Amino acid sequence: MSVLLEVEDLTKRFGGVTAVDGCSFTVDEGTVTALIGPNGSGKTTVFNLVTGCLPADSGAVRFSGREVTGMSPGRLYQRGLSRTFQQARVFPELTVLENLVVAGGWSFAGLFRQRVSRADRVRAAELLDEFRLDRVGDLLAAELSWGQRKLLEFAALLMSDPRLVLLDEPTAGVNPILIETMEAHIRARHAAGTTFLVVEHDMQFVMRLCDPVIVFDRGCPIASGTPEHVQSDPRVLDAYLGE
Amino acid sequence: MHTIIQGVILGILTGGVYALMAGGQTLIFGIMKVVNLAQGAMVILSAYLSYTLFTSAGIDPFLAVLITTPAMFCLGVAVQWLFLRQLRREDAAELSILVTFAIALAVEGVLSVVYSTSYRSINASYANTSFTVGGYQVSAVRLYAFLLSVGVLGLLYLLLHRTRFGRAVRATVQNPEAARLLGVEPARIRALGFGLGTATAAAAGSVFGLIYPFNAGSHYDLISQLLSVVVLGGLGSLGGAVVAGVIIGVSSSVVAVAWSPTWSQFTFFVVLLAVLLIRPRGLFGTVLRGAL
Amino acid sequence: MTRGGLSRAGVLAVVLAVLPLALPQHWVVSMLVFTVMYAALASSWNLIGGFAGYPSLGHAAFFGFGAYTVALIFPNTHNLSNGLLPFAILPGIAVVAGLIGLPIGAIAMRTRADVFAIVTITLLFVAQTLALNLRSLTGGAQGAGVAVPPFDVANFERPFYYAMAVLLLVAMGAGWYSQRSKIGLSLAAVRADEDKARGIGVHVTGVKLLAFSVSVGITAMIGGVWAYYVDFVYPQFAFDPLITIGMVLMAFLGGRGTLWGPVIGAVVLVPAQQYLAYELGGSQLYLIAYALVFLLIMRFLPRGILPTLTHLRRRRRLIAAADPAPRTAAAELGLAHDGQGGARV
Ligand SMILES: Nc1ncnc2c1ncn2[C@@H]1O[C@H](COP(=O)(O)OP(=O)(O)OP(=O)(O)O)[C@@H](O)[C@H]1O
Ligand SMILES: [Mg+2]
Repeated sequence: MSVLLEVEDLTKRFGGVTAVDGCSFTVDEGTVTALIGPNGSGKTTVFNLVTGCLPADSGAVRFSGREVTGMSPGRLYQRGLSRTFQQARVFPELTVLENLVVAGGWSFAGLFRQRVSRADRVRAAELLDEFRLDRVGDLLAAELSWGQRKLLEFAALLMSDPRLVLLDEPTAGVNPILIETMEAHIRARHAAGTTFLVVEHDMQFVMRLCDPVIVFDRGCPIASGTPEHVQSDPRVLDAYLGE
Repeated sequence: MHTIIQGVILGILTGGVYALMAGGQTLIFGIMKVVNLAQGAMVILSAYLSYTLFTSAGIDPFLAVLITTPAMFCLGVAVQWLFLRQLRREDAAELSILVTFAIALAVEGVLSVVYSTSYRSINASYANTSFTVGGYQVSAVRLYAFLLSVGVLGLLYLLLHRTRFGRAVRATVQNPEAARLLGVEPARIRALGFGLGTATAAAAGSVFGLIYPFNAGSHYDLISQLLSVVVLGGLGSLGGAVVAGVIIGVSSSVVAVAWSPTWSQFTFFVVLLAVLLIRPRGLFGTVLRGAL
Repeated sequence: MTRGGLSRAGVLAVVLAVLPLALPQHWVVSMLVFTVMYAALASSWNLIGGFAGYPSLGHAAFFGFGAYTVALIFPNTHNLSNGLLPFAILPGIAVVAGLIGLPIGAIAMRTRADVFAIVTITLLFVAQTLALNLRSLTGGAQGAGVAVPPFDVANFERPFYYAMAVLLLVAMGAGWYSQRSKIGLSLAAVRADEDKARGIGVHVTGVKLLAFSVSVGITAMIGGVWAYYVDFVYPQFAFDPLITIGMVLMAFLGGRGTLWGPVIGAVVLVPAQQYLAYELGGSQLYLIAYALVFLLIMRFLPRGILPTLTHLRRRRRLIAAADPAPRTAAAELGLAHDGQGGARV
């Protein structure tokens, strides 16, 4: 298995708070890696650093062998590294279909093509089917429920055929049935070759789906390994229970 | 060299007044994320109030501050309550710019109807007094104006850092949701904050009328000058506004004595562009890129 | 183009063409010139202020730029043998204004919409100050005269009217084109969530600059026609904050980010404004009226006329359709009841 994402000694401070502190880890190609840890341990910040949404104070990020530290989120997206947000971010005044099309990653010249071309429609239709959003394709994203928006955000970034998808709490605030749906979609995409890095608080979800698991505390990994291995690690229990 | 130093002295004194005017504006931005384009109009409005108090009741402009400040505070609260409160959250920042611009135009319109458009100035008995310190002229009016500005800014600082109200304001700035949980009502804080920002405009307006001749349209010049100060200082930073006020006051007055007063207008724009190019967050502001 | 869109455009073109023929009185045509001028200004402002959500307060700077360019190329000492010549240079003015707009837009749109408003309004005052102070070029506060158009007195306004009408069609055409291409899709994404748009590879900077530069280019052409029509330009009228607020106001009233909103806004407001100016005389009173109308719109109709109607219609349709089909569809998907339902209706 080759290393797809390598994070080395990443640090980020917000004023006095060190949100990410000399953090290093790797994500192997073809895995569904979990990133777990107590609230405020810096998981979202790591996502922000890796995807270029925030500049790191120090450290390096390598994606499929290339140094990508400080690269803009758009460039990374086009290179196959994409993410969802903890608070799902979709474009409320675009339709569901348009939300997919806008994520299609076209060139500058593509701006002058038709808003939603037939080719776009065909491409989006597959995803809409796969995510069973086809019936709401013409609704505005604002008219979707919270869970549907999370699905839509996930589906939209698949328009770019990403190699690595970072999911920030895909099941938070989502009803149990939809959690299963979400899990099924991740499995299907994983089977098709996409690598995932998932931040999640729902431990059952993590244990069912992910291997390996990286445990975060105070801005850096304190343990990693198979779910069983991590579960039996005393430091992990300390992190969750102790101060 | 002598003229340059003279310019620097003048610039520091003027800069203090800019700091006061811009201080209110940056405070309003900090509390409500509103770029208040009406600040200049409020300054001119209170300059006219002082003018009227001076010409009809003989009240000295420095004393008139005690009347104009509370009056303008109430006006500010009313404006916020009537026109800004109900803006929808997603585009409040964008729309409030336009609303405050419309308020500025309304104030300008009313003033030019009431006072016509000819220039006015407040000619206090000490208007032409000046001290000579080490060979340099220091105009009494400007010195008093500077002292008043420093005093009011000092009070503002104490209010924000030493009182319950100030703590509530700062909590609201940092995190409105958390502030609400702690029993602070953000809507009230916003109204009071807007009133406070307008009140500083009132204090500045009284002395503005002593220093410069003005008419209803003068607020246009102030809009761009104050915005430059606020952007240079960092949107929302009171200390930044003070430093930026002095920097811009000095540089524009040096340009005025070294080249010509007409070009000192451009100092503001050049500074603004330079800041946006080199350090868009200003001297003391923080940049947020919406990464949640 | 949809059939509805095509026929609406056709109707607009025909109405614009026959209006001055049907109502040939001078005062009517003169009012039509200003109505169409503001419709065109509001439509071009809408390209950046509406579709992209970057509310420019400095468009009057480009309006004045166009006006002064015409005044300087065709000063009143100039004897115009062909009255159409000033119209012919308009595309050149648009290109130059668009190019000037690029660096300004690039700096102003780097961070946020509020900074953008700050920079553009400052730009307006700087342009005004320049016009006042570069006396040798602009004539300063005395203003600059424009060559007298050699048009037939009986139908003097017509050429200006038709020029404004063409510019309105250009501005609306640009809006229409952007909406049916991926430009409009990108602009909508920028308007809703710029960082997210950047993160999914939308060419945010490129599309914003494109919209800004086309928008100010059209605005400058309108300024050029205006200068030729009023025949004399002064700094305080060519670079007038009222022109800025006028276009913004009309776009807001009709509905920013819609194709027809700015036109509707202008049709409602310009005749009202001319009537007020006629009744109340002094421009101070209509300054107040303007500001009050604006405040009332923002208070009671912040979306504008068209979006409010669309919203009502859409809601009615959703409610009508909600029983029972989509609900069962949604339930089947397990979507309808996941707690924090988010429809922002
Ligand atoms: N933009 C910011 N400015 C200041 N502090 C921040 C910022 N973003 C995060 N932090 C701080 O950094 C720390 C890590 O936050 P982060 O959001 O990365 O945690 P997390 O592991 O994602 O938590 P959760 O599980 O609650 O989502 C927290 O203390 C947080 O307050
Ligand atoms: Mg998080």
